[in-house]
Amino acid sequence: MDLDLAKLAVNYGLSLGVDYVEARLHRTIEVGCLLKNSTPEPTILADSFGLGVRVRYKGALAFGATNILSTQSIKDLVEEVFKRAKASINLLGEPIKFSCEEMGKGVWSAEEKEKLEDVDVQTMLNLLKELDNEIKNGFHGVSFTNRLLMVETSVEEKFYTNSEGAELRSRVPRVSISSFINATYDGRNHTITIPAGYAALGESGGWEVVKRLDPLTFFKEEGSNLAKAVKSTLNPPLEPIDVILGPDVVGLVAHESSGHPAEADRILGREGAQAGESYLKIDSLGLRIGSSEAYVSDDPTIPHSMGFYLYDEEGVKARKRRLIEGGVIKEYLHNRATANTFSTKSNAASRSVAYNREPIIRMANTYVEPGDYTFAELLEGVKLGVYIKSFMEWNIDDIRMNQRYVGLEAYLIEQGELKAGVKAPILEVTTPKFWSSVDARGKDLQFKAASCGKGDPMQGAPVWTGGPHIRLRSIKLGVR
Amino acid sequence: MDTEVTASEVLDHLVRLGAEDASVIAAQIWERMLRFNNNALSVTKSIKDVVVFVYASIGRRRIIGSTSNPTQNALKDFVFRLIESCKMLEPNPHYTHLPKGPFSYPTHGNYDPKIESCEESLLEDYAKQIIDQAIQKGGKRTAGTITAEASKLSIVSTGGVRQSDRSTRILLNQRVFIDDASGHGLACSTHLNTFNPLKAAEEAAQYAKKAVNRGPWSEGVYDIVISPTVAADLIQHVGEAASAFAVESGISFLADKLNEQVACDLFTLIDHGVVEGSLNTRIFDDEGVPTRDNVIIENGVLKTYLHNSSTAERFKAASTGSAGIIAPHPWNLEVNAGSRSLDELLKEVGEGFYITNNWYTRFQNLRSGEYSTLPRDAAFYIKSGEVKHAVAGLRISDSLPRQLKNIAATTEERRWIYWWEVQTPTLTPYMLIKQTKVTKAVG
Repeated sequence: MDLDLAKLAVNYGLSLGVDYVEARLHRTIEVGCLLKNSTPEPTILADSFGLGVRVRYKGALAFGATNILSTQSIKDLVEEVFKRAKASINLLGEPIKFSCEEMGKGVWSAEEKEKLEDVDVQTMLNLLKELDNEIKNGFHGVSFTNRLLMVETSVEEKFYTNSEGAELRSRVPRVSISSFINATYDGRNHTITIPAGYAALGESGGWEVVKRLDPLTFFKEEGSNLAKAVKSTLNPPLEPIDVILGPDVVGLVAHESSGHPAEADRILGREGAQAGESYLKIDSLGLRIGSSEAYVSDDPTIPHSMGFYLYDEEGVKARKRRLIEGGVIKEYLHNRATANTFSTKSNAASRSVAYNREPIIRMANTYVEPGDYTFAELLEGVKLGVYIKSFMEWNIDDIRMNQRYVGLEAYLIEQGELKAGVKAPILEVTTPKFWSSVDARGKDLQFKAASCGKGDPMQGAPVWTGGPHIRLRSIKLGVR
Repeated sequence: MDTEVTASEVLDHLVRLGAEDASVIAAQIWERMLRFNNNALSVTKSIKDVVVFVYASIGRRRIIGSTSNPTQNALKDFVFRLIESCKMLEPNPHYTHLPKGPFSYPTHGNYDPKIESCEESLLEDYAKQIIDQAIQKGGKRTAGTITAEASKLSIVSTGGVRQSDRSTRILLNQRVFIDDASGHGLACSTHLNTFNPLKAAEEAAQYAKKAVNRGPWSEGVYDIVISPTVAADLIQHVGEAASAFAVESGISFLADKLNEQVACDLFTLIDHGVVEGSLNTRIFDDEGVPTRDNVIIENGVLKTYLHNSSTAERFKAASTGSAGIIAPHPWNLEVNAGSRSLDELLKEVGEGFYITNNWYTRFQNLRSGEYSTLPRDAAFYIKSGEVKHAVAGLRISDSLPRQLKNIAATTEERRWIYWWEVQTPTLTPYMLIKQTKVTKAVG
C-alpha cells in the first residue's frame, strides 16, 4: 500500500481550494469456501483495493473513488469530486459542516495470532467437512436433507488521512462461519440456519478464531436443538403471557429497534429514500422508551468483535456509546457532520466497507447490557410463558417502530419450568411496548456475527449483535 | 483501460500457469449518483472501477476470483495466488468443462452514450426539477437518489469465447413526505429520452397527499392489490427460487415442482438477458454462454430452473445462459401483462388493501416460502371496491407459493422496477391477490 497516493489526493485537493479533503486507501482480501451437500463448490478469492476521496467545498459534500492508482488517475478523481461539489452548491440546504475533533494518528489493529494469509483454502474446506460430518445425518429422526456450509475470511487494511492531520493505518482480519440447512421431518421441509436467524459465528482475529468459536461443538449442539425445534407442533398461548428471549433474539432487537433509530443521519432524514428514517427526532434525547431495565449500548472497541475498530473513517477515536439507559434515550450515533448539526461531538460512528463506498453512520457491536439474573432465576418468575431462544424471520418498519421476530427454537414455560417445544411463535410488537415490557436481564451476554445493510450503494458492514437472556412481561404472541 | 486487452492478458496468464478451463470477465463500471433529502442535496458520488472476474480449473479443481486491483503486476500476483490456491483443492466429483464457443450473441439497444457522457450538470438539473416538482405537487419534503450508470464488459474463455458489451441505465428512487405520510416514485430507464423523473415525483407527491388521512383497520385475511413495486419485490424471490443452486441447496420453494402448477394460470414469468428496456442487460453469462429468454413459469406451470453448465449436467438439462459460476440467477424478470386496469382491480376488492410500496421481506422458511414483508409509504383500505382511507402499520404475513396461486387479476399496464429493495430488474403489472393474511404489531 503506497501511502503517498492518499497524501497526494489530500494535498492536491487542498491545492484546488477545497475546505476539507480526506483520502482512504482501502484493501480487503476475502477468501470464501462453500460445501454444498458434502461437495465443495468453487472456492472464492476476492481482492478489493482502491482509493476513496471525500471533499467538502462551501458546505457541499462529494465522494469519489477509483481503483486505477496512478498519479494522474488520482488527480483526475480529486478534480472530478471537487467539480461535483462545486456543481451542487446551488442545491444545498444548510451548508454541511464538521464538528471539531481531535484527529487520530498512528497504527491500530485487531488482535491476531495466526495470520489468515497463512491459512490455505483446503484447511478452510476441511473445517467445513468436519462440520458437515457432525450434522449430515441429522438428529432425532430429522434429516438434514440439504446443507450449504460457508466459511469466510477477510483481511481489511486501510490508510486514512485528511486535511486536518489524521493519519491512521489499520488492519482487521475476520473469520465467519454460517450455514443453510433444509431439515426434513414427517414429509415437511424446514429452513434452519446454524447459527439460527441467518447469522454467523464470527470474530475479528486470525485463524485462532476457529478455536475460540469451537464451531464443531456449536454445530453439533445447535443442530440437535434445531432438529427438535422443527418437530414442535404446539401453538403458543394466545393470551398475554411472559416471554423470555434468548441472546440471539435480544441482540437483533437491540440492533433493529435501538441501534438503527439512533443513527443521527436517519434522524435527520438522510436515508429517507432507502433504509428510512427514525421514530426518534432531534429532540428525543431523554425520551423514556422503556422500563428501568432497558439498557442498550454499541461499542466498537470490544476485542475480537466483528465490528471492531479503534478509529472511525473520519479519524475520530472510537468509544462505547450507551443508546438506552434505564429505559431513556441517552445517545445517538454520530459522524462529524451530524455531530455539528446536533451541537455535540462525534462518537466515531463513521464507517465504510470499501474504497468505493462513502463513509456513513453505522453501528459496530450493539447489545443489551447484561443484568444480574441467572437463566433459572428468569424462569422462576414465570407461571405461564414462552421461551423464544432463536428466530428465523424478522423485519421492522422504516422508522423502526413496528417489528416482528418469529421463533425457531421455542418452549412453553409452566410454573418456572421449560416444557414442550412451541412452533414458530410470533413476537410482533411496537418498539415502546417491547422495551417497556423488559423486567429482568440475565448475566449471560453472548454475541453473534451479522452483516448490517445500509447506504446507497448498499454497504454490508460486519457487526456483532448481542445480549443476555431477558424477560418480558405480559406480551401477546401470534401464530401464523 | 481496455477491457478486451485486460481480459485477454489475464486469460493468457492463467493458461500459462496451468489453468485448463478458464474464463475472464473484465468490467469497466462508471457510476454517478446524487442524493438529496429535506429538499436539498446531501452528497454526490462519482465512482470509476475496473473489476476483473476469473474462473479457473486445474485437474477438476475449481476456483473463482475477483479483483479490483487491475495493474499488470497486481493482476499477475492475483492470478498466481488463484492458481496456487486452486492446486491445493481437491478434485470436484461433479466437474463440467466450460461450454465451448464460438457462440452467436443477441444484440440490443440498451446503451445510451448520453448517459455515459453525463453532461456537466445533468443530474444536478434533474435533482432541482424533481425536488421542485415534489413540492409543487403538494409534498412538504422529499428524499431520493438519482443514479446514472454505464458499464462495459468483456469476456474471454478457453472455450473460444471473445465478446464485449456495453449498457447504461438511469434511475430515480424518490419519496415525498407530508408529515408522517409518504409516497414513493420510481423512474428506471436505459435511455435519457425515456427517463421520466418528473412523473415519478408527481406520483410520489400524489400518493403522499392521499396517505395523510389514515383510518382504522384490523388484522385478518384480505384481498390485496399490489403495485408493480411491491409485485417486483415478491417476484424477485420467485426468480431466486428458480435457481438450480437454490434448489440443490434446499432453499427453494420451487424444488420438486418442475412441470407442476405453481401459480395461477394467468401468471407467466420469463427471464431475459436482453429485452427492450432491461436494466441489467447481459448478452453472455459468466461462462460465456449467450443469454436467452427463459420461460420459468408458463400459465402457472413451472417449466425450467435456471442453470449454468454445472447445475445443468446434474439436472440432465441444458444451460439456460444464467451462470453465475457457483449460482445461476435471473438477469431481468418479466411478468406477462394482464388485461385489466388498476381501477378495475380495486373495484374487485370486497374488503382489502391497496399497497404501493414495501420493504424488508424475510422468510421463516425458504423451502416452503413462508415470509412476511412490510408495506411502506401509501397504503389504503378498500371496502366494496372503493378506497376508503389510508392505513399504516400493516404487515403481509403469508406464503409466496400460496399467493402465486391466489393471483386473481393483473393489469395491462406494466412497469420496470429496479431500486434499493428490488435488485433483480422486474417488468411487472399491478396484481390482485386473494386471501392474503395481514397482521399488525401489538402495543
